[in-house]
Amino acid sequence: MTTTLKIPPSTHPYAEIIHRLEAGGSMLPDTEENLMQIIGIYKAYAVPMDFYWRDLLYIAERVFLDPLPFFKYFLPQEYLDLPNHYAGETADFRVWQKGEASAHPELLEFMDKGELKKKLPKLFHHLWHDRINMEFAEACMRAMLWHQGMGGLFYDYLESEEYLGNCDRAIKAYFKGNPLMLGLYKLFPEMFYEKVRELSYYANLGLFWEVMAPVFFEMSDRYDAGEFKTVPDAMDFLVNGIFIAAGRPIYHHVYIGDQCYELIPKSKGFMWLYEAALPYVEAVFYRTAPFRGTKSYNAQAQQVPADQKDFHYGILYADVFPVGTAGIPPTLLMQDMLHFLPPYLVDYYQQYCRGEDDMLIQLGITFQRSMYNVTSAVIQALRTALLYPLDDPNPEHLRKNRQFFEAQMDRFLRPEARLNDIQNQDYR
Amino acid sequence: MPNIVEIAVSNDAFQTLVTAVTVAGLVEALQQPGPLTVFAPNDQAFAKLLPGTVDTLVQNIPQLQRILKYHVVAGRYTTAELKDLTTLTSLEGSPIPIACGDIFEVKNATAIASDIEASNGIIHVIDTVILMG
Repeated sequence: MTTTLKIPPSTHPYAEIIHRLEAGGSMLPDTEENLMQIIGIYKAYAVPMDFYWRDLLYIAERVFLDPLPFFKYFLPQEYLDLPNHYAGETADFRVWQKGEASAHPELLEFMDKGELKKKLPKLFHHLWHDRINMEFAEACMRAMLWHQGMGGLFYDYLESEEYLGNCDRAIKAYFKGNPLMLGLYKLFPEMFYEKVRELSYYANLGLFWEVMAPVFFEMSDRYDAGEFKTVPDAMDFLVNGIFIAAGRPIYHHVYIGDQCYELIPKSKGFMWLYEAALPYVEAVFYRTAPFRGTKSYNAQAQQVPADQKDFHYGILYADVFPVGTAGIPPTLLMQDMLHFLPPYLVDYYQQYCRGEDDMLIQLGITFQRSMYNVTSAVIQALRTALLYPLDDPNPEHLRKNRQFFEAQMDRFLRPEARLNDIQNQDYR
Repeated sequence: MPNIVEIAVSNDAFQTLVTAVTVAGLVEALQQPGPLTVFAPNDQAFAKLLPGTVDTLVQNIPQLQRILKYHVVAGRYTTAELKDLTTLTSLEGSPIPIACGDIFEVKNATAIASDIEASNGIIHVIDTVILMG
């Protein structure tokens, strides 16, 4: 029996979508075209993400406080080989069944030859910007660092005496024998602590994405094998992924010489779901910040919200077309995904709009659709964890589920939200 | 009178909980004088968790401890005392919403047995593993 037969229908402006969520669906309509688009883009996202998480951990753990980190995007072999905890034979829980734990073959090929398809010294690819755009990953990390207050215990710990003590030991070890930096540290300790806090967010985001890359690869494989038939199939797989990883530790270890300094030890009990995934979704999908070069905002005229919690510049609100200005984070991600699109998605884009000429915009809107599906998975996961089953026989429990879904949809009442747009297949 | 751990061990409905508490190294803590109030999920409650969730937690003891501590409150709270309360603060630190009327609900779990007296506290059996948030 559906929820609307047990309690009266919702009168919310997004009632149709709320009823769909109550029936176990996604905010994204269940069409074959939507399924094909989102799976294709998950695969295209997972390849650069395989670089992002490795490099985020490399920067957090090894580059650390290098004052001139020119080579922080040059991943050493050790981090390309770093076994993913959710892929390969050594996995804690093997999410990606066919994949290896080391860097994805398509990523390695791209790192080798780039868009130019020529093997040049790494530095040339880097300077020509023919590489994975790590600046996108750093923008996401900065959104998490800046917004804070999004639940979890992570940020409060970064202000604690215990954390500062751990930082102090690591900073002194890192700059041992460097009187200039140690002198600066003595004069401006807060500046150093704040930089280390940022590095802790590098670790946080790296550990978050380490899970998501194999989840997306597995989804792509299952779709190719004909195992996913509907958009809710894809959403349910994400919900399962969230629960598999929910309890994985979020920590920050720094390696200086042969010594490991535990800035945030695993023993703090920080968890992937509370300290990484939920803050990430809030900071990156919903909030972020206005991107320079896309539009001018007058903060004095209240064009930018006074409260950070009301920021609405994430992918769920993005007008993808003007975001096409070169160099800003969303464009950098689009460019990264362009290199790894599955052939069926390239064929699809060539049939619409300006074909190859506006492929970045088309795939950006596909990405928006796919992130509405990921957000749906997060909403359903929270409902599963904190509320009641969709088929609960108690009408009072169904009302509480309804209140939760309606509160989530309230966030899309503002005019910038793209929830209405993605209901339509012609939005591209 | 048996303590909280002894009651749980002697009851077949708490096999998963007893295993989890043992793996997490919390047996000793639950044998202390307390008193403590434990919202104890039965085996069926653990079985409702999605696959993989328990596997990951068992591999990561501090995280498992955190989830288990969310089911424990300092002090002895009988249903009679809980009728006037809307939240309790768990040992984990997060609040637990309580609704104790005709039906006794602990967050999104329903109590299926309550006021089980132990020498060092009281146990209420719940049908769902509760999670922070």
